[in-house]
Parts: sequence; C-alpha cells; structure tokens
Amino acid sequence: MSVVGTSVEQSAPRGGVGDRPVLSVEDLRVTFTRHGRRIRAVKGVSFDVQRGRMLAIIGESGSGKSVTVRALMGLLPPSAAVSGSAVLDGRQLVGMSDKQMRRVRGMNISMIFQDPARSLNPTMSVGAQIAEAVRTHQQVSRPQAAERVLELLRLVRMPAPEKRVHQFPHQLSGGMRQRVVIAIALASEPDVLVADEATTALDVTTQAQIMDLLVDLRERLGTAVVMISHDLGLAASYADEVMVMYAGQVVERAPTQTLFSNVRMPYTRALVEAIPQISHPSHTLLSVVGGHPPDPGRPVQGCPFRPRCAKADDTCLTAPPLDMHEPEHSYACWHPVTGHEVPVAAAPAAEIPGGTR
Amino acid sequence: MAVTEAPAAAVVAVPAPDVLDPERGSLRWAGIRRRLVLGIPLGFVALLILACFVGPLVLPLHPPVGGDILNSALPPGSPSHPLGTDINGNDVLSRLLHGGQSSLLVAISVNLIGLVVGGGIGALSGYAGGWVDNVIMRVLDVFIAFPSLVLTIAIAQALGPSLPNTILALTAFSIPAVARVARSATLRIKTMPFVQAAELSGSPAWRILLRHIAPNITPQMLNFAMLGMGIVIVTEGALSFLGLGIPAPNPSWGNMIYEGQQSMSATPLLVLWPSLALLATVLSFNLLGENIRDEMSGR
Amino acid sequence: MTDTTVTTERAEERAGSSAEPLLAVRNIVQEFESRGPGGVKEGVIHAVSDVSFDLMPGETLGIVGETGSGKSTLARAVIQVERPKSGTVMFQGRDLTTVRHRDLKKVWANFQMVYQDPFGSLNPRWRIEDVIAEPLVSHTRLTAGQRRERVRELLELVGLRPETYLRRRPMELSGGQAQRVAIARAIALDPAVIICDEAISSLDVLIQAQVINLFETLRRELGLSYLFIAHDLATVKQVSDRVGVLYLGQLAEIGPSEEIYRAPRHPYTKALLDSVPGLDPDTGVARRPVTLKGDVPSPLDPPSGCRFRTRCPFAQDVCAERAPVLEDMGPGHQVSCHFPLDDQGLPTRGHPLSRQALDVATG
Repeated sequence: MSVVGTSVEQSAPRGGVGDRPVLSVEDLRVTFTRHGRRIRAVKGVSFDVQRGRMLAIIGESGSGKSVTVRALMGLLPPSAAVSGSAVLDGRQLVGMSDKQMRRVRGMNISMIFQDPARSLNPTMSVGAQIAEAVRTHQQVSRPQAAERVLELLRLVRMPAPEKRVHQFPHQLSGGMRQRVVIAIALASEPDVLVADEATTALDVTTQAQIMDLLVDLRERLGTAVVMISHDLGLAASYADEVMVMYAGQVVERAPTQTLFSNVRMPYTRALVEAIPQISHPSHTLLSVVGGHPPDPGRPVQGCPFRPRCAKADDTCLTAPPLDMHEPEHSYACWHPVTGHEVPVAAAPAAEIPGGTR
Repeated sequence: MAVTEAPAAAVVAVPAPDVLDPERGSLRWAGIRRRLVLGIPLGFVALLILACFVGPLVLPLHPPVGGDILNSALPPGSPSHPLGTDINGNDVLSRLLHGGQSSLLVAISVNLIGLVVGGGIGALSGYAGGWVDNVIMRVLDVFIAFPSLVLTIAIAQALGPSLPNTILALTAFSIPAVARVARSATLRIKTMPFVQAAELSGSPAWRILLRHIAPNITPQMLNFAMLGMGIVIVTEGALSFLGLGIPAPNPSWGNMIYEGQQSMSATPLLVLWPSLALLATVLSFNLLGENIRDEMSGR
Repeated sequence: MTDTTVTTERAEERAGSSAEPLLAVRNIVQEFESRGPGGVKEGVIHAVSDVSFDLMPGETLGIVGETGSGKSTLARAVIQVERPKSGTVMFQGRDLTTVRHRDLKKVWANFQMVYQDPFGSLNPRWRIEDVIAEPLVSHTRLTAGQRRERVRELLELVGLRPETYLRRRPMELSGGQAQRVAIARAIALDPAVIICDEAISSLDVLIQAQVINLFETLRRELGLSYLFIAHDLATVKQVSDRVGVLYLGQLAEIGPSEEIYRAPRHPYTKALLDSVPGLDPDTGVARRPVTLKGDVPSPLDPPSGCRFRTRCPFAQDVCAERAPVLEDMGPGHQVSCHFPLDDQGLPTRGHPLSRQALDVATG
C-alpha cells in the first residue's frame, strides 16, 4: 500500500458523490487563555458530515473533541478564541452572534450530553420541558405543542408516552431520561444532532437501546449524527465514519470499516490494542503505551504522539500533515502502521517517569 | 425544516487573530483585577487593625475620656482635633480608634471562640452521627431558636455591661451558628471516598477529624467567620447602643452612634464617623471572607 | 531492606493454601429505608438479597452488574463499612459481621479498597507521601524514616518515580497517576484482599490498560486476591478467574470466566454479553449489540419470583411464582434460573423453546 499516493488538500470536499455535506468544518481552531497561558485546545480540525450519516469523533481527555463541537454550538466561554469555518446548511457558525446562535441552536443543530439527570430540570414535568423546546422555535398553540410532545415521545420509543408527559425526571430511569433529552433535542427537527458521550453514563443494556434509537432516527428523519466518544467499540458498531483526535488535531479519519480493518495511525492502533477483549484469556497483559497526552497549554514540536510512539524518529519532529494517503482514508503520520504490527510491546504498566500535568 | 433566511453574510472563514498575546488586553486586566479584589479588602483590614491597635500608642492623641466640656462640639479640622470633639469634649478621632479597638477585639474574640468551639462541636456532631449528633443538634436548636439579639441582650443584661461579658454574650449565638455550618460541611466531606479510605486505613476518629475533615471544611468556615465579623461588630454596636455592651464612657462604635444620635440635629457628623467606620469594616471583612474561600478552594 | 523477598514468600504462602476460601460470604442481605419528601418512610430498597460466594486465595473474582445490581453495596457490606442487615462473612476463622467497630480497624489491614474516582479517594490537601503513609501510621510502629522508605518502594511498585511524586499534591496529578497513588496506598499494608470498585471506569482508555496491567503485575508479585467490581464485561473477564453476575441484588450466575463467556447459562448473562459492542482488533469487524428490552425494575419493588422475568425472553409462569435458587452447573459454577441455557443459548428443562421442543416441532 503506497503511503505517498495522491496527497489531497485538506480543504477538498470529501464524502458521498454529489452530496453536499450538511455540516462542513474547515481548519477550526480554538484557543483559551488562562492565567497568562495560551491553551490551544483545537489546532485546525476539518471534517464534513453528510445528511443521514453518523460520524464518530473518538479521543481521550484533552483531545479537543468536546471543545470542537461546543465551538460549533457556540457553547464556549467568552475567553475562547474561535477561528476557522463551520458551515451548517449554508450558514457560517464561527463568529455568529449570541442571538443568531440561539436561533440556530435547537433549530439546525442540537446537542445531548452525558448525564441526562443534569440536562433536565428536576422541578418541571418532562412534558413541560419538551413542550418548551417545541415552542421555543415554532409558533404553535398549546394543544398543538401537546400533540407534538406526544409525537416526539413516540418517536423516541418511550413506553406509555401519555403517562410520561406528567412525570418528573426523577421518576424515570436513566434510559428514559436520555430519551426525553433526545426528544427535546429533536423538537425542531434539527439537521445535525451532536451526542457528547451520550451513552457513557448508561448501562450497557440501556446504551444498546439508545444507540439503536439514534440509528433509527437517523434513517427516519435523515438527521446527521455526530457522536463523541472514547469507546471505539461503540463507534465501530454504529458509526458510518470515524475521526480520531489527539491533542487537538485530527490524526486519522476514514469510513468505519476502512479504518478498523486497516488502522494506520499508531495512536489509533494503540487505542484498539488497549481495549480488553472478551476473547482474551484471564490475566492477559494488554499491549500498553506509557505516558499520557501532552498538556494543551504547552507547545508541542512535531507530531504530538511522538513521545509515546514506538515508531517515532527524527522525521517526526516535523508535524506530519493530515493527508488522504489512501482512498477515503486520511491520517497524519510519517510511519503508519501496516498490517497487524503492534507499535508497542506487551509490557507491564509503564509510566514515563516525571511526567507532569 | 430549514428556515428560509438569508445566510449570515458570505460563507467566509474567520481568520485566526494575528496576535493572541497573553501579555496584552483582557488577560492582564484580569490578573490585575484579581489582585485588586483580594488586595483591597485585605489592605483595608490590615490598615484598620493597625490604626486601632497601634495608632493610639504611636499617635499623639488626646485620651478618649475625660475631656473638657468647654471643648465640646468642636468641628473637624480644629487644631489638635482632626475630626473635632463630641458633646462631652472628647476627641472624636481618639474615641474612634479606641472604640475600634474594643469593637474589633470583641469581634475577633467572638469569632475565634466560635470557630474553635462551634467548629469543633459541629464537626464532631456531623462525623459521629447517630444519637450523639441528635443530642448536640437539639441542644443547639434551642439556642438557635431564640432571636439572636434577644438572646444576647438577655445574657448581657444578666451579666452586666463589660468587655468580657459582651464577648461571652455574643458567643452564645455565634457558637450554634458556626456549629451548624461546620456540621453540614462535615456531612458533605464525610461522604467523600478519601474519608472512607482513611477509615479503611485504620486511622482513629480523632485523626480523621483533625487531619482530614478540618482542613477541608476550613475554607467554608473561614468565610463564615468573616461574615460573622461583620455581624458581631454590628450586634456589639447594638448592645452598646442599648447600654449593655461596652460601658460608657469607654468608647465603642455602638455607643458612639448612640450618643451621636442624641444630638444628631446639631452635630450630625458625630453619627457619621462611627457609622462609616462600621460600614467600611463590615464590607471589608465580608469581601475578604469570600476571597479567602475562593482562593482556598482553588477557584 | 527490600520487602520483595518477604512479599514473594507471602505470595507463595497464599497461593499454597488453596483449599480453604480466603473469604466465605454467606447470605448477605442489605436493605435501606427509602424516605419520601418530608421524611416519610416510603419503602425498603432491597439492595442486596441473599448473596453468597467464596473468594479463594490468589484468585480474582469479578462482580459484574448494572445500575441497581447492588454490586458496590455488596462490597461495602462484605468489608463491614456498612453493616449488612444479615448474613455472615468468614475471614481467617472469624465472622466479620460480629466483630466490633473498634476491632474492625485492625481487620481492615487485610482489606483495602480502590475507588472509582481517583481524586475523590485522595485528600486534596495532603501530600502524596502522607497519603500513602497513612495506613502505615495507623498499623505499624515504623519510624518516619522507615515509612518514607516504604513509601518510596510502593511508589516504584506502581510505576511512579518517588523523587517526582513524593511531595506533590493530588491536584497536580492526572487521573491515571492519582489512581496509581490510590493503589500504592492500598498495597501499603500488604493486604490479603483488594476490592476494586469500578477502579478504572473514569480513566482514559490507554490509561485503563496501563492500570489493568498494573493490577495484574501486582497480583503476581504480591499474591493479592481481588474482588473486581465493574460494569464492563470485557474488562472483568480479562482480569478475573471467576465472574459473578448480579442483577437487582441477586446473583444470577457465578462461575469460571472462560465458561461464563463461552456458554452463559443465565439469560441475563447472555443478554449482557450480547449488549457489548465488540470490535475485533485483527479484522476490524464490529459486532452490533443485540438490544435487551425494558428497563431495570426498581429495587423498591422488585418483581416476584425471578427478578429478571420482566425482561427475560424466556420467562414462563413458574418464573413469577417461584424464585429460582443457585444450583450447581459444574465445578465452581452456579446458576439461578428455572430454565438455564444450554451451549447453544436455548433454555433447557422442558421449556417450550428448548432444543428438544424445537426438534419435536420441526419434526
């Protein structure tokens, strides 16, 4: 497999044939200033989301995945400097005023968060909260809103919707609460739904239900879903396309099957190797890479994964660009992984001595 | 689904700002503001304590009592009386500083006792739980049930006006209040895994209280104590105002306000000075308390 | 003086006496009162209902369960941090439930716990050196200098350089580093059992792998036994010799990890296994989970008979009338079900969907 190939410019359109992406992000950068230090949380991220497709953004703490989507939603504090371009259905989101953003939010792009208990007002009935979401963006009468609430509850497969309308969040289970949150997010039929670790706090059985729901909604409503997660297995099972982020940059991106059958970026490979597998016998030692991600407040020379990468050498002091080295498969690495080589040894827990925050 | 609305301007990327210099602009200002917010009240409190305790020793002031009636009601700016004199001929500045001494002494003592005794009782009660907690809380409830001023007045009346008695009377309502706060803070800390881990490590209860609970409830307690400073000074003022606190003719801001109030139409400034002093002091302590809490809990 | 020689001896000693269980837990019941608004007693939360298991020396027993399974409550009830309503816990010939609180502190030298929140389990105001030394202060007569030596050893055991970390405070550490400190503290007294209560759930994926490896390494070097509580099946299986599956306060199945995963006997175990998104690292093929319907019932009002029957695809009338009991299925393997599954995942014992019934039906 040739690594050089046709190096495609980052800004060239990706995705399906003739299909304009509903969300197109170019060179998004987010920088915070805190206590006199510049923290580069997102360092030039580009991606497209097609209608009706699910993109999974995978990364660990500090990868910048949450900051990226929050920048799109305008949910960052005023101290955040956002630059670049994010076009949603013809609208430029970066630099939008608060007022304009408020209208776009909910209407065109919605977000659901990790903890459904914290996203819902404990003192308001579930029906009232969904109705509020409905009436925020559309001028409808109360009876019409009530109808819509029931419609939405059925859409999210809530058992016994008529009963739930009057119930309060604490009376519902975690899975049901998350369905309510999804109903609220879908109230105005947005083009894009962002799920930020939306199933992390749920049980495995509930997680499966909610992911099934998201897939179903994607097919029925054509909503594009951007799923943020640290769970590779989840992404592999449900997403159409996977984008891996590390230290504020995209390091690998490809359609799901392509990516996982041919992992190229050593970091992604390390992630895959680090997942405990049911097929492993008891007391297996996992292939582990030591150290931890770089501090976003400190500048990094070259490839951010260099200090932890077994394949790194001096060429890695120059940052590798994210290029589409293979059809539909982009990665940023001078020494990509080939075949099933594992870039780290199966070693007991190694910690880079003296690694500081 | 899509709202037909003209898209915002052209679909143009927002260029990265040329300079994101942390030295410039909003960041430096934020740093300065932080230092000011912490520094000003701290500075004022320090100045106050210095003035009231060290001032009278160093400055050539007239004695606060025993003034000459002939000198009564001199206006501010009079020779050797920068703030004038009161109706008894005593130097206002001197009375203000000496009065501040009394007021601050009372406030600091009461809050210190409250912190130590009240904090101790509250933490113990919260940590022990069960019947110990119940009994202590019910006893404290009795004290808290009384309107604080009424309680203080009753005690002060019974004991008679003097500095130590004032302190005692005020602790009666400070201790239960602090105990309540300490208890709820302790209950919160108690559930944290590191307390459980300490118990599992075999640490005895006294060590857990002293080295785990106490350091972690301190920020909240200090904040409460600072608020308490203001409350105590004002209450002491009320007591003295009613003749139950610092006995006349010894000055305290409270009784200065009382006396000044009596001749307010003629000499309004006599009320103003101690009132301003009270206001500034209470404000500073409150701000200081909040800042201390913020700093200690790591923002 | 290095303690490694002592510890390897201990490890051998422990592994040697394999006939007797280290911990014999029998019939633990834990209940809590549930109070409504205004403090009115509303009902009883049946957190743990009649759970029994053994922990053999040198063994890692995994406990898997979802929300409401009672796994953390069970752990706390076993080590008597919260006294169980009833049941016994035999350890070194003593029933821990009858040991008085002040004597418990000494018993706890044998049991340590590693918690889910690495920062929550460390006092934010203490230095790392003091955090790790705390159990040594309470239980040993070492001098300050000897303690510091021991702390250095422990830090090295968990992969942290002592010079760097001794004087630091928890807020200066990352999640993975903080959890290593918690582990160092847990092994300070060379305990017999370490309970890991979701000890890796809040860590990043790569760090999780590091810490799992650390647990394994320590297990070998120090001869530790673990009670490993988690909700992630793959992780539990990888570290455990045997696995117990909890559902709504009861043990559905307990047995050797290989068997449980190869051929689960309880429908809930099978459903759990099917719910895990799987990614084959070699082929990159992902398996989409099979969804289990319904929600976990409330522990305030658990279903009659078998508690899993409201979601079980094989539930029959008898499941509502009579609660199943744990029965032996093989060495060290027990299941609590009226119609345990066979190797193909079909219910047995005359169930309408059993292999025999299907064979008959299809002729």
